[in-house]
Amino acid sequence: MSKIDNAYLLSFFKLAADRLEARRQELCSLDGEIGDGDHGTSMANGFAAIDARLREVPADTATPALLLREAASAFIGEVGATVGPLYATALLQGAALLEDGPLERDRLGDLLAQFAAGIGMRGQAQPGDKTMLDAWVPATQAARNAAAGGASAREVAEAAAAAARKGADTTASMVASRGRAARLKERSLGHPDPGAVSAALIIGAFAEIEEDPA
Amino acid sequence: MAPPRKRDVRASRPPLRFGDDPLLWASWLYYEEGLTQSEIADQMGASRPTVNAYLADARARGIVNISISGDKLRSVTIARAIEAHFGIGDCLIVPAEGGQRSLIDRLGAAAAQSLPDLLHSGDTVAITWGRTMLALANAVRDCHLSDVIVVQATGGTTAAITYTPEACATRLAESLGARFVPISAPAIVSSPEARKILLREPVIAEQMQNLERVTCILFGISSLRPNSTVHSSGFFDSSLQRHGAYGTAVGSLAGRFIDDQGAGLSGPLADRTMGIDLDQLRSVPTRVLVAGGFDKVPPILAALRGGYVTTLITDSATGEGILRAEGVELDTLAPRRRAAEPPQQALARTRIKKFINQPKDAVTEALEGALAAFPDHIEPIGGSLRALRSRAAKPEGKVGVVIGGGAGHEPGFAGFVGPGLADAVALGNVFASPPPDRILSCTRDAHRGAGVLYIYGNYTGDVMNFDMAADLAAAEGIQTRTVLTTDDIASSGAEDRAARRGTAGNVFVFKVAGAASARMLPLEDCERLARKANAACHTIGVALEPCSTPDTQRPSFSIGQTDMEFGVGIHGEPGVTRVRLQTADRVVDQICDRIFEEMRLAPGARVAVLVNSLGATPMLELMILNRRLTHRLSARSVDVHTTLLGHYFTALDMAGASITLMALDEELTGLLDAPCDGFAWRK
Repeated sequence: MSKIDNAYLLSFFKLAADRLEARRQELCSLDGEIGDGDHGTSMANGFAAIDARLREVPADTATPALLLREAASAFIGEVGATVGPLYATALLQGAALLEDGPLERDRLGDLLAQFAAGIGMRGQAQPGDKTMLDAWVPATQAARNAAAGGASAREVAEAAAAAARKGADTTASMVASRGRAARLKERSLGHPDPGAVSAALIIGAFAEIEEDPA
Repeated sequence: MAPPRKRDVRASRPPLRFGDDPLLWASWLYYEEGLTQSEIADQMGASRPTVNAYLADARARGIVNISISGDKLRSVTIARAIEAHFGIGDCLIVPAEGGQRSLIDRLGAAAAQSLPDLLHSGDTVAITWGRTMLALANAVRDCHLSDVIVVQATGGTTAAITYTPEACATRLAESLGARFVPISAPAIVSSPEARKILLREPVIAEQMQNLERVTCILFGISSLRPNSTVHSSGFFDSSLQRHGAYGTAVGSLAGRFIDDQGAGLSGPLADRTMGIDLDQLRSVPTRVLVAGGFDKVPPILAALRGGYVTTLITDSATGEGILRAEGVELDTLAPRRRAAEPPQQALARTRIKKFINQPKDAVTEALEGALAAFPDHIEPIGGSLRALRSRAAKPEGKVGVVIGGGAGHEPGFAGFVGPGLADAVALGNVFASPPPDRILSCTRDAHRGAGVLYIYGNYTGDVMNFDMAADLAAAEGIQTRTVLTTDDIASSGAEDRAARRGTAGNVFVFKVAGAASARMLPLEDCERLARKANAACHTIGVALEPCSTPDTQRPSFSIGQTDMEFGVGIHGEPGVTRVRLQTADRVVDQICDRIFEEMRLAPGARVAVLVNSLGATPMLELMILNRRLTHRLSARSVDVHTTLLGHYFTALDMAGASITLMALDEELTGLLDAPCDGFAWRK
């Protein structure tokens, strides 16, 4: 598995779905503190739907771009919610990058950048708004910085995962200015943003498949 | 304190009102009548040491409680906690609310008042720039210091702002009667080479050397939020932040950027900045950060973590925010003389019992049950249980009304589909918007050549999904219009009505739009009337207990045993404020006060009323609430045209209620009185 190709994407979505399922309740509880408590359900159901859909795609017709487009459609068809449009747009942006075929794995940062751009475009949030972007944007930068410094594919993914976790932690010190939590104003302080926490889990899956190539 | 009242009669037994309690008697004479201990001894016929012991005993037994005014105590508590947590020398907290003066002015004034403690004659003081720094410089009064030098901490700017580095430093120098040393260069120069050249200029080199001698620096901090000073001042091009080396920056001090741990970030600006650098700043003995406001929490935290601060001056809300962000529980900070209250029983109720099978099947199974119960009202569109339509015939040329949102509000949404109401409803998971394809199938189904009106609550997720559906519908040639409901007046101020969320007022808006469309009015008119209905609706919700979703079966948050949440919505989210639990009448009064303040109902005005259960609250309590509501309305001579009372828009099993008042004119009254037939509202 030398590239970001079909096999890579299939194992990534499977792993991300597992990780989100394992934290379903915790994400719901986090969301309950400052939002409406549906985040764990939406994310776990959404990624499970992606995993199920991708298994249906015939191997002979699959391309990385097609898989991401299918993932987008499966996700938004399943969950709607707030994350539906955000992740669907992210995945479609990712598909655009993979249109020419598989990507070198150390260029993960470029794929993350597409995801982050899609989320930013759809949600109109800025870094610092206490949203999932506060995990996606630092992860993108960390991955690109690592790659620019000549890091291996595994180091790139690990840098992204670490930056995403740190970004998610940092959201606890932010006041929400988007979504339902925004109505809580300063009461959102001290609670990490559930969207950033789940983003860190997803980005963590990129690092995990590097350490345990399936 | 009242002057002591002398008594001529010497008595050794207390007057009757004190019973047999000498402690109470002594306390009364001392604290309420203001007598001295000797005078009390005389009056009680006891020795002075005995009186002294009585008074001490009275405090120990809680007969006398001495308290410091709540606000002041809170300020001191927060300040002490910040000093301890971050190991800084001093923290001064000003009240977060301060009447007419802006927070910046009050912070500046507080900092100016502390200057005599921070500055000494002969000191070299540096000051950065910004609104707070200028407020500080303006507020300084007579410090009686001599031989003070004020230096500009950074170069200058020609940006069109009043609080430039030059302005802040000159103003401070004037106020202190000090000598002023500028930095005769821009804060950001065009290139590293330019900086090197400038530093070789003898005048500038000498000015910069003063920065080494600074004994006290006064600085503000900028967040990197889009509306922050750092952007408006032209110091910083925001494109640098999004894509460059400053991506992890959370704040800027003295023109330098730091990350969330306070580490300095080297980027393209580092070699182009003229002024004190972060290492120099950290070696200044007295480093006073003056800043407040929620957007400053992350940068202040970063500055504290990075060791840039010896004295912090902020406001109580920001201080609390800083502590909360660090996970310091403020409630545990307040000194307690006596044992803390017993721990709450909340844990006993962690798992909420529910009639469900598998959590993931809850919504689907509920809809199956609803379809079986109300076969004359609703049916699935194309086999999907999450896209339902009215069974009624829809004539060609009728505007389609499509509503929708998450599940969990039952009978919400689906119960308001039928003749005179909505034509179709798209449903999502619990509290989660339906996806665009479902909304699109509702749109296609409801379209009879006259376009489709979307009506739903103002939530980020719903807006994104409905907007995507609208785009897809437009591509198929179906014209749609959208009315977002925003009736929850607690969720945002009157000046920002568009940011409010939609709650129980939905019911009235659906009704008005449904009646308008049944009259075969065109899309523009249906939209206008729905907007008018929404503008007329004012809702406030109050919760006694949180709700729990089928997935977690746990309370979504906790409400103390003696508290309630004021200003809750319909998604089990916490309210706008937490207040003490009150009687039903006082709760209604509080809701009415807030609604009346905004509605300005004149005598003779006519309203529709909805007293709505949020799920667990029974009819009996709704009726009690309605009783007081009726009193309040009749006291204003307001005529109640229609009352709905019951479960109309719920938040699963939340215990609580909302009250909606809708102001009616002839037009809205007519539409509200029109017949309708949904399974939750038949007229």
